[in-house]
Amino acid sequence: MSSLHTISKSPDSRLLEQCLALCSDKDAILFIEDGVYHGVLAETLAKIPAAIAVYALREDLQARGLQERIDARAKTASMKKFVELCGDYDKVISWF
Amino acid sequence: MSKRASKKQFTFISRAAPYGGNRPQLCLDIALAASVFEQQVNYLFVGDGVYQLLKGQNAEPIHAKTLGNAMATLDLYGIDNVIVQAEALVARGLTPEDLLLPVLVLSGPDISNLIARSDAVFNL
Repeated sequence: MSSLHTISKSPDSRLLEQCLALCSDKDAILFIEDGVYHGVLAETLAKIPAAIAVYALREDLQARGLQERIDARAKTASMKKFVELCGDYDKVISWF
Repeated sequence: MSKRASKKQFTFISRAAPYGGNRPQLCLDIALAASVFEQQVNYLFVGDGVYQLLKGQNAEPIHAKTLGNAMATLDLYGIDNVIVQAEALVARGLTPEDLLLPVLVLSGPDISNLIARSDAVFNL
């Protein structure tokens, strides 16, 4: 069963490390709220295995002035895409 | 007591990113209040707090107030001592050019000295 992991706190929270320890291939990670700050840290994103899709929520990027700074490893996702992702994966695991 | 003698040095340490909670706004409100009462204010941004000063913020998509707009006008409210932790910038791949206003970049021991010199410190 695949999972969508949402991470809503900044990299200072170390939530990504905790999440990755429990992640499987075919899972996806979606950064929301302050979690989108992960999206500008190339070295941090590089720790995520290639099999895991990485998204960051567009609205939260825009609010924080990050839309131009997002690393290529993370795809920008709209609110609509967020809803679709919730349906595409078997469960949603919220890291906050 | 003279007016001058009653002036104290306040240092505000803001550690949180701008839209994940209300700590940055609270810190700003207290700092502005201190400045209105003509106290000497040092506004210090450490850790994720430096993101409050990042250029290009627009909080309309998340229906919030753009904190960066307030930060850009700090000097109009008598707060011209804005200090940013050097290590926090480096860790986030930022330079002073990425920020909304001119800042003083200080690292570890200089920040410790600043805090030691202050009469009161607020850490939010």
